[in-house]
Amino acid sequence: MKAKGKNILLTIVTLCLSLFVLFTVQPTHHTTAYAADDSLQKIKDRGKIVMATSPDYPPYEFQVSKNGKSRIVGMDVDIMKQVAKDLGVKLEIKSMSYDSVLVAVETGKADVAMSGINPTAKRRQSVDFSEIYYNGGQSFLINKTDVGKYKNKAALAHKKIGAQTGTLQYNLAKSKIPGATVKGMDKNTDLVLALKTHKIDALGIETPSAEAYVKNDHDLAMIKSGYHLNKNETGSAMAFKKGSGTLAAAVNKSIDKIKAKHMTTQYLADAGKYMKVNTTNTSMIHYWTYFAKGIEYTLLISAISVIFGVLLGTILALMRFSKSKLLHAISVAYVEFVRGTPLMVQVMFVYFGVGIIVNLPALLSGIIAVSLNSGAYVEEIIRGGINSVDKGQTEASASLGLAKSDTMRFVVLPQALKNIWPALGNEFVSLVKESSIVSIIGVTDLIYQLNIVRADTYRGVMPVFVAMCIYFVMTFILTRVLNYFEGRMKHAK
Amino acid sequence: MQNKPLVEVKKLQKNYGDTEVLKEIDGTVMPGQVICVIGPSGSGKSTFLRCLNMLEKPTAGQVLFEGKDTSKFSEEELTTLRERMGMVFQSFNLFPNLTVLDNLKLAPIRVKKMSDKEAEDKALSLLKRVGLEEKANVYPSSLSGGQAQRVAIARALAMDPEMLLFDEPTSALDPEMVGEVLAVMKELAEDGMTMVVVTHEMGFAREVANEVWFMADGYILEKNKPNEMFEHPQNPRTKDFISKIINS
Ligand SMILES: Nc1ncnc2c1ncn2[C@@H]1O[C@H](COP(=O)(O)OP(=O)(O)O)[C@@H](O)[C@H]1O
Ligand SMILES: [Mg+2]
Repeated sequence: MKAKGKNILLTIVTLCLSLFVLFTVQPTHHTTAYAADDSLQKIKDRGKIVMATSPDYPPYEFQVSKNGKSRIVGMDVDIMKQVAKDLGVKLEIKSMSYDSVLVAVETGKADVAMSGINPTAKRRQSVDFSEIYYNGGQSFLINKTDVGKYKNKAALAHKKIGAQTGTLQYNLAKSKIPGATVKGMDKNTDLVLALKTHKIDALGIETPSAEAYVKNDHDLAMIKSGYHLNKNETGSAMAFKKGSGTLAAAVNKSIDKIKAKHMTTQYLADAGKYMKVNTTNTSMIHYWTYFAKGIEYTLLISAISVIFGVLLGTILALMRFSKSKLLHAISVAYVEFVRGTPLMVQVMFVYFGVGIIVNLPALLSGIIAVSLNSGAYVEEIIRGGINSVDKGQTEASASLGLAKSDTMRFVVLPQALKNIWPALGNEFVSLVKESSIVSIIGVTDLIYQLNIVRADTYRGVMPVFVAMCIYFVMTFILTRVLNYFEGRMKHAK
Repeated sequence: MQNKPLVEVKKLQKNYGDTEVLKEIDGTVMPGQVICVIGPSGSGKSTFLRCLNMLEKPTAGQVLFEGKDTSKFSEEELTTLRERMGMVFQSFNLFPNLTVLDNLKLAPIRVKKMSDKEAEDKALSLLKRVGLEEKANVYPSSLSGGQAQRVAIARALAMDPEMLLFDEPTSALDPEMVGEVLAVMKELAEDGMTMVVVTHEMGFAREVANEVWFMADGYILEKNKPNEMFEHPQNPRTKDFISKIINS
């Protein structure tokens, strides 16, 4: 009977949590359906247009460092600067993973997504697009040693073709090359690596990108795709939130001007110059500032998250031991829910989902998500620690007349914390590794920096290796430091 | 000796789920009395003690403290009950995260709202009384068993209780340390402390106890003066048990 009542309560709390989730997501549909179109006016009032982009796609957008400072450059950035100038507003660039840029405009994190995006019919269902601002055409990258073998598209039949997942190139390779096995990956840098290690035979990619790679890597060559394509789907366009007609119209005016004056030619040439400067020195030491910044953010996120995780975990553990069935059920439901969903989804939910209500910056969102996640795991550790304290301690304390809360505070928790110190240390170490997921929303942690360096240097493996070593050194040192303190705590007792 | 009982136990019953641990216990403790409880392991002696200070809630029957039903006590009255009825455990249960001094000070400060200074003076004088003032600032892990149990007694005394419950206070000790703990307990008894002691130390029982209760199968099968109990046990179960502890 009692167990049953607890289950019902648990179900109710879980349902409430789910409803909250639904509730927070709901407003998007309403606002898009009924709100008047003030998309342009809002930007003008604010004096700033926010662009979401994934800067690992030269020459469209990529990151360069100059005097230790890194910034995002490329044709897309130049076009957007022109657009901002025409609108009379400033430009702010938010960088994030390619998967996230469209979500960013859908949820209002950015006004425009611009990342060499092809306006496919499917994407048109969820966002509005501008006119095509550039049509670079489709090509294949191949190994130079294969130039004789793969002279044209027909020669690629029944071969392994790589392409970025979810892109036009991916769909084209699937539908237009007979018998091809299409291998999808997230990043062109990974795909180029796959090509060079002969895991794939060719890589479907936009012509300007292909040209950039060929220019910077002498082992690569390119062939034109020879696809016959509808120009409206194959070029690149900017994406807006649905119902941004006024904004789209204003942007289209700028695009028309840019096209008429053939300004993209100049933009591409400028991007090419950056790429030249950028690739003269591809040694990893040259990029140490990138890695250093990555380490700083990774440690920052982990340290803050572990502190809040311990606070939250303690509260959740106390709730679980509390007499109130409601508090108990909330704690159980929270822990089950968080443990039952991937950290990546939680990070995206906090940034994009909660972002509908309060606009949280990426770093803060990342810290919040990782802390909330860690809290659930720390709760389990602390609960284990509390259970590990001998029952005689609680009894002795009660026999002296101490209140339950005092017993917890002065007797049980101090002993529990001491018992779980090694487990908490492990949690911190694993946070250092797992917090890497925040790179998807553009937090400049080590993984994010690693991808920038890869895109920047056209070197696939070396940056990964360096990052791996850095992660290992960090966790190794951390483990030693924690062991040292653990030893000292043992002696101190 | 006053004539009003300090504790009265009436038809006390305690079940854990389907197991009936205490079936029907009756007994009276007068102020200043020392009662020794003996009986085979698992007969419910610890459970009985824990029902006296309400660490366990009786399933049926009553425990009256100064005539008042303890099962109806509010949180506040429970606190007062436990202030007045201290307990000493077989495994000491000192708080390992606190120094000896802080073990003694914690409850007076948190429960009696004593000032730090007052609690410290009291703690030091109690440590002196059990002969351990030089151990004030060490942690319990560095104490021997006998020292730890004397500290535990001092910790219980820091609340100025009128009555103390002892649950096999010397069973976990090496033989050479039993004496020092029993000596402290004997002194307490001589000073008039009311005590209920679960113990198999027959020498102590003979010398100090006013009554010995024999528990088995959830009942108190026999109550008697120590000498009577040990020399002329009436109940066959008592006879059997006493011959066993004498021969061990
Ligand atoms: N919390 C509990 N839950 C279930 N059974 C218990 C619990 N505490 C004690 N018991 C059982 O009650 C019986 C009496 O235990 P106890 O009072 O410790 O006996 P004694 O102190 O005389 O050795 C034992 O059989 C024991 O297993
Ligand atoms: Mg016992």
